[in-house]
Amino acid sequence: MIGVSLSRWTMSYFTVALLALLGAEILMVAGFGYPNHAVFAPQTIALVHLVAVGWLSLLMCGALIQFVPVLVAKSLAHPNLPVVALILLVVGLVSLIVGFLDMAGLSVGSTPWLGLGAIGIAAGFALNVWNLGRTLWSARPIGLPARFVVLGLLSLMAVVSLGSIFSASLVGWTTNDILLRLTSEGIPLHAALGLGGWLTFTAMGVSYRLLAMFMLAPEDEHRTSRFAFMTGSAAILILLIVGPTCLLILGQSVAHPMLIALGLATVSLSLYVQDMRRLYRTRRRLKIELNARMAAVALGGLGLGNLLLLLVTATGQTDRRIGAVVFVLAFGWLTGLGLAKLYKIVAFLTWLECYGALLGKRVTPRVQDLVNEPRTLPWFWLYFLSVVAALAAASLEAPIAFRIAALGMLIATAKICFDLVSIRFLRSVPASMLPEGDRAWPRLFLPRLQHFQR
Amino acid sequence: MTHAPYELDVRPILRAGGEPFKEIMEAVGGLASGQGLRLLATFQPVPLFTVLARKGFSHAAREIGDGDWEVIFTPAAPTVALSPSETDYPAEPGHPASVWPEPARHLDNRDLDPPEPMVRTLAAAEELQPGEVLSALLCREPLFLLPELKNRGYEWQGNFQDDKTTYKLLLRKPAKNEAAE
Repeated sequence: MIGVSLSRWTMSYFTVALLALLGAEILMVAGFGYPNHAVFAPQTIALVHLVAVGWLSLLMCGALIQFVPVLVAKSLAHPNLPVVALILLVVGLVSLIVGFLDMAGLSVGSTPWLGLGAIGIAAGFALNVWNLGRTLWSARPIGLPARFVVLGLLSLMAVVSLGSIFSASLVGWTTNDILLRLTSEGIPLHAALGLGGWLTFTAMGVSYRLLAMFMLAPEDEHRTSRFAFMTGSAAILILLIVGPTCLLILGQSVAHPMLIALGLATVSLSLYVQDMRRLYRTRRRLKIELNARMAAVALGGLGLGNLLLLLVTATGQTDRRIGAVVFVLAFGWLTGLGLAKLYKIVAFLTWLECYGALLGKRVTPRVQDLVNEPRTLPWFWLYFLSVVAALAAASLEAPIAFRIAALGMLIATAKICFDLVSIRFLRSVPASMLPEGDRAWPRLFLPRLQHFQR
Repeated sequence: MTHAPYELDVRPILRAGGEPFKEIMEAVGGLASGQGLRLLATFQPVPLFTVLARKGFSHAAREIGDGDWEVIFTPAAPTVALSPSETDYPAEPGHPASVWPEPARHLDNRDLDPPEPMVRTLAAAEELQPGEVLSALLCREPLFLLPELKNRGYEWQGNFQDDKTTYKLLLRKPAKNEAAE
């Protein structure tokens, strides 16, 4: 088919992802994980995976199954495969977290939870990478934003492979020396490829296209964008190839490749931020919408996170301070960007789902009529201010203050989620413009049956 | 020979509570052949788009700050349908583009906020008589519009123009006997 239809399972991914975010924030308020526990404590690792896999990766997968087809103007290769992947990912994540709780001393029986979790997560991501990869392959030659996504998916495969090796070692499925060495010293590679290569690099690629579309900015390909891609790709390949080589063949630590990758990533991010500033400057949509305004704040979080990472590396305080840096990248940058974009994407997809077939035949609302930006905006500010407060509390090693700030994040996120549900149920749309007749009301997170009949 | 667009600022009339429709139509009546109209208003004058489209004008509207709008109406040059080799989608067998009639309407949706181009195109498509053709200029490939056109039984063809940034879409409402088939 030429053109792109609505992705059937994107809302299901978004729903599970938001539940994982709310769950993670509740745990932080309860004092579970960093900074109450050490950075490498099982509690912290469980929390990190709930955020990284449950929230950020599911959000990213849900967005990619809808927007990779938009990036390359091809339909998704297998429209229903994402639901199988989602079930595997959720079951895998729950097992993985139970496994970490087991390591933390909670008795959960003798089942090898970590190993089973890794199998579920690896299988789920593999199905999504296969689906997205086939879609991208069928659209060759692909544009620059889609190439960012390809490198992001490559990083995801590496992250999942490393994670599976770690799990197999921890549950005793392997005693291979090489795999054990990777497990004991490869964690920085796993984290950098996950947070940087997969989540950040993919978000950069998608935002080149989405921000331009939403703000009506010209999409000409600039030299800075190509350099951002090249330096970022080089950073990923160094983590992917030079890192394991240093560790396994040269018998050294991964410190040097990590440092070189950080340098290249900093160049890539600086060029990217410059490109984003140009998009904002040259936009033709004068009125800046909530999603674009809050995405700019999230970009500030990316800049701050990168700066702090350089600072703690330069002063040799990575072991003590890395938790705060990861926190600001995960919550200031990726979560901030994710919530801001969700506010636009959910409204647009709901509008298309409810009114696509009615356009031109009767009076229909605009996409803006589905949202109430003045009502939601203060909660975004509460969210970002709470992140800054939580960062300060974590840096000052004040766990109680951190939990209070986390409560601010939780309240703000819960209200934003409530507003997203209101968008799904068309609560802001005047009664006279509600869809009737051949269009059923939207379902919160499952596709309607007629999607399958087409 | 091309003329610079005639400029008409109706903001003072609107701010004074007046109705500038008469002034606008007089200005349109006074345009030289091929001359456009640059209109400045305090809102997006949507009803005017339809009125002037019937007179063969396409429009490009943009917000210029403080809620004011600039709309440039351009008289449509006579256009011919794209030849099949120019398109990325062939016309239906038996109804090649070369036998499609001249477009009955032209839309310039390039400067509209998404998804407004999709809304306008579908609204105009619904107003076509059976067998009539609509031409629309867009600033990107209308990926979400195309499946909807197919669902509604329209034939369409489109491609990027030489400037690589304008996507030209032609769509045709099926004639009554075709729709019945």
